Amino acid sequence: MLSGYWHFVPEALVVAGALAVLFGEFLPGRDKGAAYIAAALAGAAALLVAVGGTGGPMVFGQVEPDSVARFARTGVAGLTAVWALWVAGRGMSDERRRDAVALALFAAAGGMLLCMARDLIVMYIALELSTMPAYILMGYRRRDVSGLEGALKYFLLSMLTSIVMLYGLSFLYGISGSTAFAELSIEGAGVLGLVAVLLTLVGLLAKMSAAPFHYWAPDAYAGAAPASVAFVSTVPKIAGITVIARLLSAIAPDMPTLVTLVAVASVASMLLGNLAALPQSDLRRLMAYSGVAHTGYLLMALAPGTDTGYAAAVFYAVAYALPSMAVMLVAAEEGTEITDLAQLAARRPWLAWSVVIWLLSLIGIPPLAGFFGKLYLFGAAVDSSLWLLVVLGILTSVVSAGYYFRVVREMFFGEPVGVSGEGIASPAATVALVALVAGTVVIGLGASPLLRGLGALLG
Amino acid sequence: MSESVNGVAFVILAFASIGGAVGMLTTRNIIHAAFWLLEVMVAVGGLYLLLSAEFLAVVQILIYAGAVSVLMLFVIMLTLRRREDSVRPVEVSIGGGILAAVFGTVMYVAIARYGDRVGEMPIVVPDTAALGELLFTQWALPFEVASLVLLVALVGAVWWSREGDDR
Repeated sequence: MLSGYWHFVPEALVVAGALAVLFGEFLPGRDKGAAYIAAALAGAAALLVAVGGTGGPMVFGQVEPDSVARFARTGVAGLTAVWALWVAGRGMSDERRRDAVALALFAAAGGMLLCMARDLIVMYIALELSTMPAYILMGYRRRDVSGLEGALKYFLLSMLTSIVMLYGLSFLYGISGSTAFAELSIEGAGVLGLVAVLLTLVGLLAKMSAAPFHYWAPDAYAGAAPASVAFVSTVPKIAGITVIARLLSAIAPDMPTLVTLVAVASVASMLLGNLAALPQSDLRRLMAYSGVAHTGYLLMALAPGTDTGYAAAVFYAVAYALPSMAVMLVAAEEGTEITDLAQLAARRPWLAWSVVIWLLSLIGIPPLAGFFGKLYLFGAAVDSSLWLLVVLGILTSVVSAGYYFRVVREMFFGEPVGVSGEGIASPAATVALVALVAGTVVIGLGASPLLRGLGALLG
Repeated sequence: MSESVNGVAFVILAFASIGGAVGMLTTRNIIHAAFWLLEVMVAVGGLYLLLSAEFLAVVQILIYAGAVSVLMLFVIMLTLRRREDSVRPVEVSIGGGILAAVFGTVMYVAIARYGDRVGEMPIVVPDTAALGELLFTQWALPFEVASLVLLVALVGAVWWSREGDDR
C-alpha cells in the first residue's frame, strides 16, 4: 500500500517549482529567471513521467498511475513547460511573470493528480486545484475591467458547476457506499442514480465547456489576456477528459442511458461550436467556440463507453491541446483580432507556416496529430454504430475548415490595418513555438504506437 | 451525563438557537442581527456536543462562529458608510415568506412520514481521535492537496488586492 511513492516525484517537482517561483524573491534573473526555472522543472517532470514506468493502485487505491495516466500527465506537464518557456521569453502582458507561472504550475500539479485519480474525493480536490489558478490567470491584468468581468463570470459559473457536481458526487457516494471508482455502482438505484449521474456529468461537462453549458467560455476568454487563454483553454482539458473517461468507465456499464446523454451533448457541442465560430472576428472567441466543437468530438468517443473510445478521447485531448495553445500564443504575440494577423506571411514567414500546420491539425489533415486523433475518435463511434455522430463529426469538420482558412487567408493575402505586433525577437518564445510544431507533427507520426500503449491498459 | 441533565441542556440550547433566530429576524439593526446569528451558531454547536459529535461541534464553533460571522461583521462594517445606515425597518417580503412556508412544509412532511426510520444512536460514537487518524492516514493525500488549493486562493487574493507593480 505505501510503496511506489516515487510515482509522485513529478508532481512533487512541479509543486516545488511553483513554491520556489512564488516565494523565491531573489532567484537568479529575478522575474524572467523564475519563469525559466519553472519551465525547466515542469519539463523535467514531463520527462520523468514519460520514462517512468506505470504502476498499480496506490495510496489506499485512491490513485493509479497506469499507462493512460502516464500519457495524459506527460501532456499536462510538457505543455505547461512549453507555456512557461514562452512566458519567460515574452512576458505576461505587462504584469509580473512570476505569479502567473507559479499558478500555472499549481494547476499542472492538480491536473497531473487528476489524471491518476481513482477516488471521488481525490478527483474533486484535484479538479479544484487545477481550476482554481485559472480564475486568477483569467483576470491576471488587474487594471483591465473587462478582463476582471470575464474572470468573475468564469469564477462564479465554475463554482456553481463545482457545487452541482459535488451534490451529484454525494448521491453517488450515498448509493454505492464508497468513494472509490472501482466500487461505484448505481445498479438498481433508479431515478436517484439518474439524478446523481446527471448532476455529476453536468458539472464535469460545464468545466469542459461542452454545449449546452458552454456559454461562459467565449465571454470569459474574450476578456482575458491571450497568454492566459492559451493555458486555461488547453491544459486543464487534458486532465478533465481523462477523469471523465475514468468515471464513465466506472459507472457506464450500469447505465445504458448514459450513452444517449453523452451523445446529445456531443451533437450539441459539435453543431453549436462550429457554427458559432464562423462569424467570429476575435481570435479568442473563435478559439473558444472551436474549443466547444472539439469537446464535442471528444464526447463522441466517450459516448460508446468502450475502452478504445476512452483511449481515443485521451489521445485527442492532447492532440487538440498542442495546436490550440500554439494558436493562442501567436495571438498573444501578434494581436487578438484576425485582421491583426494580416500579412504575417510577409513579416514572419516561419510563424505563418507554423500556424498553417496547427490549423491543419485542428481541421484534421494527415499526417498531423489532429488527423489521427479524429480518425480514432470516429473509429470508436463507428465500432458502436453511432452513425449520426460520425456523419455530423465529418460534416462539422468540413465547416470548421471555413473559419480556420479565414485565418490562413488573412495571414497570406490580408490587407494590414495599422501597426500590429512588435517584432522583438525572443529566442525562448521561438523555442516554445518550435516545440509545439514538432509536437503536432511527431504525435501524428507516432500515433499508432502511442495509442496502442494507451488502449492496452485502459478500462 | 444523566438523562435529566441532558434534557435540561437540550432545552436551554434549543431555546437559545430558536430564540436567537427569532431575534435575528426581528432586530432592526443589521449589526445586532449578525451577533444574533453568532449566538445561534454557538447554540447549534452546543447541540452537536450534546449528541457526542465533538468534532462537528468544534468545527461549528471554529468555522461558523469564528470565521463566517467575523467575515459578515467585516463586510457590514466595511461597507456601511454612516452609522445610521445599519438601522433598517423590518421588511416583510412575500417571497421569503413563501420560501419559509415551503421549507417548513417539506420538513414537516419528511419528519412526519420518515421520522420513524431514524436509526438508533450507537452506544460508542467514533471520537475525534479516530477521525484524525483516518484523516492523516487514509485521506492524507486529498488533505495535503487541499492545503495547496488554499494556498492558491491566498495567492489570488494577494494578487488582486495589491496595487502597483513591483517586479
